[in-house]
Amino acid sequence: MNPPTSETGSQILTLLASLMLVLQLLLAVQPMLVTNIRIFALQSLLLAAIAGVVGSAYHAWHVYVIALLTIIGKVLFLPWRLERLVRQIKIEQEIHPFVNMPASMLICGALTVLAYVVARPITSLERLGNNTLAIAIALLLTGFFLMINRRKAITQVLALLTMENGVMLAAIALTTYGMPLVVEIGIFFDVVIAVMVLGILVFRIRETFASMDVSKLNELKW
Amino acid sequence: MLLTSILGVPFVVGLLCAIARPRALVESLNIAGFVSALALGVKLFKTVATDNGTAVTEWDEFLRADALSAWMVLLISVVSLATSLYAVHYFRRGLAAGVVNERRFREFYVLTPLFATGMFLVVLANNLGVMWIAVEATALSSVLLVALYNRKTSLEAAWKYVMLGGLGLVLALFGTIFTYAAAIGKTPGETLPSFNWSRLVAMAPQLDHHLMTLAFIFVLVGYGTKAGLAPMHTWLPDAHSEAPSPTSAMLSGVSLKIAVYALLRFHIITMACLGSGFSRNLLLGFGLFSMLLAGPFILVQKNLKRMLAYSSLEHVGLICVAVGMNAPLTVFGALLHMGYHALTKPVLFFAAGNIHQQFHTLDFRRLGPGLVRTMPVTALLLGLAAVAVSGLPPFGLFVSELTVIAGGFTSNHAWVSVVILAALIVVFCGVLNKLAGLLLGPSDGAQPRETISASNVAAMSLPLGTLLLFTVWLPGSFRQLIEQAVGIIRGMP
Repeated sequence: MNPPTSETGSQILTLLASLMLVLQLLLAVQPMLVTNIRIFALQSLLLAAIAGVVGSAYHAWHVYVIALLTIIGKVLFLPWRLERLVRQIKIEQEIHPFVNMPASMLICGALTVLAYVVARPITSLERLGNNTLAIAIALLLTGFFLMINRRKAITQVLALLTMENGVMLAAIALTTYGMPLVVEIGIFFDVVIAVMVLGILVFRIRETFASMDVSKLNELKW
Repeated sequence: MLLTSILGVPFVVGLLCAIARPRALVESLNIAGFVSALALGVKLFKTVATDNGTAVTEWDEFLRADALSAWMVLLISVVSLATSLYAVHYFRRGLAAGVVNERRFREFYVLTPLFATGMFLVVLANNLGVMWIAVEATALSSVLLVALYNRKTSLEAAWKYVMLGGLGLVLALFGTIFTYAAAIGKTPGETLPSFNWSRLVAMAPQLDHHLMTLAFIFVLVGYGTKAGLAPMHTWLPDAHSEAPSPTSAMLSGVSLKIAVYALLRFHIITMACLGSGFSRNLLLGFGLFSMLLAGPFILVQKNLKRMLAYSSLEHVGLICVAVGMNAPLTVFGALLHMGYHALTKPVLFFAAGNIHQQFHTLDFRRLGPGLVRTMPVTALLLGLAAVAVSGLPPFGLFVSELTVIAGGFTSNHAWVSVVILAALIVVFCGVLNKLAGLLLGPSDGAQPRETISASNVAAMSLPLGTLLLFTVWLPGSFRQLIEQAVGIIRGMP
């Protein structure tokens, strides 16, 4: 059913996927906001590269389209939009997470181990590159942690986007070809619109609260 | 062309409202759009019901409507129509009082038809990936509606809604991908299997069992967040109470059920694939938990719209429990309940909107007794709708709840029925106690009497009238359609 994977192709994929995870861990400890956005852009570039490798290994043109969309959307447009937002609302650069850096590093490490445990029973179903599914789940879990560990609205948006990267990695790892093109394009536009909407909301929160610290959003209870 | 036009009409209305200038034109475009959507919905319902439940398909099966979809299309168009009728008076008053500005007014009339388009696409899309995209689209179009008033609290509510919703949707996408992966390599000669629900159901027993199990868990947590199932419901009371009342009505009346619908589509595949009660029991558990959780929160609630939001939580819970029991009678009750609830909840939110515009608060302690003296019409309709929503005769929710409970007793789920009864009694006491305190009693007499327009009364009494009508007289074709939908949900079309 599946065309034989070339050994090098599989190894390149595993390497690229692990680099995505390394960047995710970097996000957990990097205190500067703009650097965070650039790390996300780099992570998305790796995702595009993975799609490119898959496309060339299987000669599937529509996976190239996915790679191209990822580059346009997540490597160029979204980081540009987010950086512009950061400049517009002139927020201070430093992120103040709830949990300090060594502790967040440890938690992310533990979550990665958990992801490998969870993925073990289904790794046999992976069509490509060993461990990519485990890495995808690790991206999901650490993204979740990043989201609850951050006060600033934009960093929560970034965490959500890295989780989405994890899901797209899982899509490639589990299905070889990704999903039908109409679905991929739809997801792409949804993510772009989501970031625009979130941008509007962040802007309004900043105007109303004179801050972007979402831990100040605490008036509504049960 | 029927399905395409159901999607196209509200979408075009949304675009037109973005360019149309005069306010009256924008308002009437919305109403006209939803009237025609309802007419198309009725036509679809007739086509499906008379054709013995054969699905209508278009665009090479890209769009597909079976009995279940047709039923949901009806609910969406009815609630949207009631909303657009009510919104006219609501926003005119808001503009006059200066609580909304021109820009927000236009935002509402552009986003609401798009929100409805998204919901129509959820129920009409055959492709599960497209269904996910549509659910995400409904979330994105409603977020700005929740934040419409730009108050601190509404921004907080919108932020929670979009973050929790986004998180849920990422998980749902994960589950959707797992479902797709479960189908890979099962049909010889196809590298990319079809992602269409109809195809996946047909080949369900061949799907990878392990992946389907995982997929359903992810989808349940994901779409369950959008459906407001406890314990993922925390965004729900915030968003429903902070949104403008017309939007609250849409969110509570249909948007929650759209998420339940998405969940049901996966439930059907999972059930056919695993052949066990796995997904059923999960739905039953989450549903019961939501029902039991809603009661205490209603008892201690101090805000009218938050109380209504918790009541929605309870009703969504009941629908999931009823589907989880999987007896013909309970599933029938669940679908009937969806319809009756969709007719009742908007009226409650509309009345709450009137009260908020009159007194600028929804706090029970500050609204205080005797509302029936200052706002007689609103109070009467609110009272009637409250009687309906707590499951008292002569309103339909009594019938559907009784159907579910009776179905539970006759299908070896007696204990579930007992728990449902207990939860319903708690909610019943809570809602009626709160509203009796609000509506009845002497008023201090210092408040001015309400001024209420004909369109406002019509928007509130039409759904209630329809509810009464369909309670005493459920046409045969409706019964047929719901029975066909029950067959689909129980996996025996």
